[in-house]
Amino acid sequence: MATLPNVVLDLPNRPENVLPVREALTGIAAATGLDPADLSDIRTAATEACNNVVLHAYAGEQGSMEVEIGAGHGFLAVVVRDHGVGMPPELPAGGEETGIGLPVIRALARHVEFREPPGGGTEVRMEFAAPGSRDLSSAAASKQPGASSDGEAALYEQSANHGSSATVTIAPAGLARAVLPRVLTVFAARSHFTTDRVSDAVMLADAIVAHGAGAIAGSSLRVSLRAAPRSLAIEVGPLEPGRAHELVAESDVQGLGAIVGKLTDGHEVLARGSHDVLALRLQDPRR
Amino acid sequence: MNATATAATSTQRHASPRTDDPRELFARWQQQGDRHAREALVQRFMPLARSLARRYDRSSEPYEDLMQVASLGLLKALDRFDPERGPSFASFAIPTILGEMRRYFRDSGWSLHVPRGDKERALKVRDAQETFANEHGHAPTVNQLAQYLELEPEAVIDALLAIQAYESLSLDAPRPGGEDDAITYGDTVGDEDSRYELIELDSTIVSVLDRLPAREREILRMRFVEELTQTQIAARVGVSQMQVSRLLRRSLDQLRALTQENAGQSG
Repeated sequence: MATLPNVVLDLPNRPENVLPVREALTGIAAATGLDPADLSDIRTAATEACNNVVLHAYAGEQGSMEVEIGAGHGFLAVVVRDHGVGMPPELPAGGEETGIGLPVIRALARHVEFREPPGGGTEVRMEFAAPGSRDLSSAAASKQPGASSDGEAALYEQSANHGSSATVTIAPAGLARAVLPRVLTVFAARSHFTTDRVSDAVMLADAIVAHGAGAIAGSSLRVSLRAAPRSLAIEVGPLEPGRAHELVAESDVQGLGAIVGKLTDGHEVLARGSHDVLALRLQDPRR
Repeated sequence: MNATATAATSTQRHASPRTDDPRELFARWQQQGDRHAREALVQRFMPLARSLARRYDRSSEPYEDLMQVASLGLLKALDRFDPERGPSFASFAIPTILGEMRRYFRDSGWSLHVPRGDKERALKVRDAQETFANEHGHAPTVNQLAQYLELEPEAVIDALLAIQAYESLSLDAPRPGGEDDAITYGDTVGDEDSRYELIELDSTIVSVLDRLPAREREILRMRFVEELTQTQIAARVGVSQMQVSRLLRRSLDQLRALTQENAGQSG
């Protein structure tokens, strides 16, 4: 695509993982001033591309679904990638119910490209006209001092996707305010949290965004999520060594305590190579 | 309402077509104006239109409205398709039908109404949350709200976030549809918000907490010191849980801003 991705989602190709992609797009739309009609088109096309990965890419096996979203002046680019068996780029003849996805994408995007990514599989690169859209790398970065754009290459690091967990990477970090609460809400809902605890997850996302910006290694904020019934595991990082504890401490409000600690049911700092990761656990009901 | 069931029924209907070769049907309709042939074609391809209506951004528009526009697109496609030239009818009809839907949403000023529809839905979700909490003594899950309101979980999630009316303001993104719509959540969700003012105190001696209005401070204390749930706080204060959530979120933002300000002054 013509711009660096602002949001990267790395998800297992399960049906429920289309929703975080849609919510990430909604968050980006709010941050870029995208017209609702354009957002509808983009969400529809991205959903079709993701459904293809969920239903067809791995021939019934589990595999990864990688989604990159980038906003530029007047356009939005979405890449959906799998490392599966590859999909036929053309509509099967006579197909009415099956094979609708690709014509839908073609009808809604101003430009579509199919590629085979390194390692095999299929990559659908879609570009949408989005007249209201602003370039996020400058808009969001200017809102968030400390979010430099040079470290965005960190987005391209191979993410270690731990089995069933989902990873969302957001750059510049200032954009995270519009995206992370939405994605966290999806996973809190998936954990069967009550609306009380879903709201807590949103506040936690705010705190991670606010206090994480200064702690991240590079300029993108990476958060991994794993939802289980009534329990949600969140990992924030890579963080600069020693900064994970600071992230929690920084959220302290005199008279209230450390907000990150208060909202969670436990946190620990894990060493991952030369970096730290802050592991947080949310439960509902609380112990 | 139940799009999946409707589509399944029509697929079954479609599985046993009483009609002939579509090529012949197209010829009879397009060349002789045979309305029976047209009706047979509509029957045959309605599942396609239905499928597209269902796929087109399902959370934001009633399915019935989408279906109406999709059907119109299907009729246009039936008129314009040239069986001699094109590939399959589906590959011709899909862009035609989607084109109709896109045009409809752009021409009808639909974008302008989105914020209003979102707001109504957000208020419904807020009320359902309260009703459920009163009946059960605890807050509902997203799925319980979705079932109760017959909405997709996605629509409930969007409503929960919309009621905060936050991200649209925080990044200064003007919402299409006018600034009025973007900012008036507060008017409907709780007028008491308008009294929100920071208290001017010497920030070097007093905790940032003391600079918040008494009610916000009290809600923060109930949540983080007493460790009450938001639903419990809502019952005590006499506002909705969504309102508590909104106040907490904003108060924490304010505290962070004040803390930064203090750090700037002392450093």
